[in-house]
Amino acid sequence: MEAPSNPEVDLSSVPPLGALDFTAVSEDYRTLRIIQWSVVQLILALSILAPVFISTLFNNVELSVDFGDRYWRIPLLVQGVVGGFWLVEEWLGFPRRGYVVRERDITYRSGWFSRSTTTIPYSQVQHIELTQGLIARWFGLKHLKLFTAGGSGNLRIAGIEEADAQVLRSILDSRTGKG
Amino acid sequence: MDFIEPKRQHPLGVLILSVQFLWKLGQQAWPMLIGLSFSIGDNFWQNAVIASIASLALTGAYALLYYWRFKYSVEERVLIVEKGILHRERLQVPFERIQTIQLFQGPIQQLFGLTGLRVDTAGSSGSEIKLVAISRAAGEALQDILRNHTSDSNEHGEEHGAIENDDDLAAPTETAGQERSQLVSLSISQLFKVGLSQNHLRNAFASLALISYLIGNQPDALTSWLDGMPAFMATLIGAAMLLLILPGMVLFLMSGVAVSVATAFLRYYDLRSSIGADGLHAEMGLLRRNTFQMPYARIHLTIWRSNWIRRKLGFETLEIRQAQAESGGQGGVRVSLPALEPCHRAVLENVLYPDITDNPVMEVLPVRRLRWLLMVFSALPAGLFWLVFNPLIAAVVSGAWLTFAFWTTAKRYASFRMTVYTDTIVLEKGWFWRQRILLRLAQIQGVEWERHVFLERRSIGHIVFHTAAGARRFTYVLKRQGEMLRDFALNQHHARNSRA
Repeated sequence: MEAPSNPEVDLSSVPPLGALDFTAVSEDYRTLRIIQWSVVQLILALSILAPVFISTLFNNVELSVDFGDRYWRIPLLVQGVVGGFWLVEEWLGFPRRGYVVRERDITYRSGWFSRSTTTIPYSQVQHIELTQGLIARWFGLKHLKLFTAGGSGNLRIAGIEEADAQVLRSILDSRTGKG
Repeated sequence: MDFIEPKRQHPLGVLILSVQFLWKLGQQAWPMLIGLSFSIGDNFWQNAVIASIASLALTGAYALLYYWRFKYSVEERVLIVEKGILHRERLQVPFERIQTIQLFQGPIQQLFGLTGLRVDTAGSSGSEIKLVAISRAAGEALQDILRNHTSDSNEHGEEHGAIENDDDLAAPTETAGQERSQLVSLSISQLFKVGLSQNHLRNAFASLALISYLIGNQPDALTSWLDGMPAFMATLIGAAMLLLILPGMVLFLMSGVAVSVATAFLRYYDLRSSIGADGLHAEMGLLRRNTFQMPYARIHLTIWRSNWIRRKLGFETLEIRQAQAESGGQGGVRVSLPALEPCHRAVLENVLYPDITDNPVMEVLPVRRLRWLLMVFSALPAGLFWLVFNPLIAAVVSGAWLTFAFWTTAKRYASFRMTVYTDTIVLEKGWFWRQRILLRLAQIQGVEWERHVFLERRSIGHIVFHTAAGARRFTYVLKRQGEMLRDFALNQHHARNSRA
């Protein structure tokens, strides 16, 4: 019976990933994230305070629900705590965002509180997508998304400068064999 | 038999389709039909008969049209289906995209010697093709055509990663010859054992849900019946309910057992399975008989499950998962086979994962922190006793609970184990409900090292293997071990996928 070739593996000779330098994403992306954060916080705060504005601006409008005078304290406090945590995560997490392109795989690292380092072999990439939102277009940033079979290993590397994104894409295209 | 000319299905397909459509219509529209029967005029039965005749005629006509416009053919390694009554659709499935070919026979198909054929792909959801009625000979011929081209797809480099596995796996099976080796076949008594060792409590709840669903849909009848009763009767009924609790619980458990045995018979009646050079083959079922055919290279996860009772009987359940649709999250195609014995496991694992008979490259156990977390979570309910009982009883009960929790936690913690072989990773966990997951390194879609900031300080993290059939994780691993494991997994993956 012919056994499949199965040489012993020397664990110390396996190339380590931890020793590599990660390429950071564009510094402009931090600004973009902070803008996103501010817009979301503003909308939330306004919607919490909307009844106050309505009752002070239009004295004759009767609100069907009586909110009471200081109803907004607790929701606003909750928003402050959650929003503050989110801001800390954005601020401390940003320097941790980064990617490494190797001969056969790509690795992306992100997150401050919840940290993850994901590696995807090129051989498993089904297709690649470059996207750009409205604000990202002002900053000249692009987001790269790699799709794998089953979808659980999909990877999104956000906030790469357009020129870098094109280079990265052409590297991936040639490596994954999708010319 | 060839399938070059576009063909319709067997004429009896009209009958099967009408039954299917009628069933769907009934499921979705029965409250409306009953409501209409009540509301128009006052002759309920007459309306009901008219409504059923109308829906019969409607579904019959629809089934006829559907049947007439549905044609299938095979052309140059592509399965083609044209269908649609007003909106025409032409589906093309290249053979190399096919994950599973499944033959199925419901009661009508069994009666007339027909078969249905279902083809699953790993593409976007809804990309499956289903023929409901073709003659059994045609079904088997079609299955052969699809299967032969699917399993020898090496030279047509389609699915990355799986290509090399075909090579690897062909070697041991070819030398074993073309004959198939039997895996598991169930006799009636074994079927009873499978039924009796199912989770009765879950099944009992399922039957309870069914009953309450039936009652819940006739709330008017129930309330009007209660309204019509004199007041003292209500008290009597209440008292009777109290007396009924014990027999009710016995009935509840008995119904659970009955449901368990019945579902075991419906699903696994006359189960026959075998393995051969072309993959895993299994057929089972009473009213609806399913036949599966899976090439080895399409198997992305192998999961063995057993509970304590099953282990006492020497049984394990095998679940096989194939690639899932990208957006689906449905877990993809999965087949489960109950009542596999240790010898079956050895045979199957020897074919699928030949390297696990060698010495493992490394063994990874979770750190002690997992034990404390398990302990804390299983001890939490002890707090509830203090809210419910008086202090003396609460102290006794929570003491007993804590002893139990401490004992089971030790057992559970000891059951977590990850064994790494040159090409395979084996994840084991569970003490009462035991689980053993096998995945091949050549097939992983990605590896993730994950931890939150407090774990990072202690150099602990979780390792996640992304496969085409979903992610599997092993938690609370030392960073040094986890990173070494990740590098090793990637290295082996590249080594297995670089020969193309």
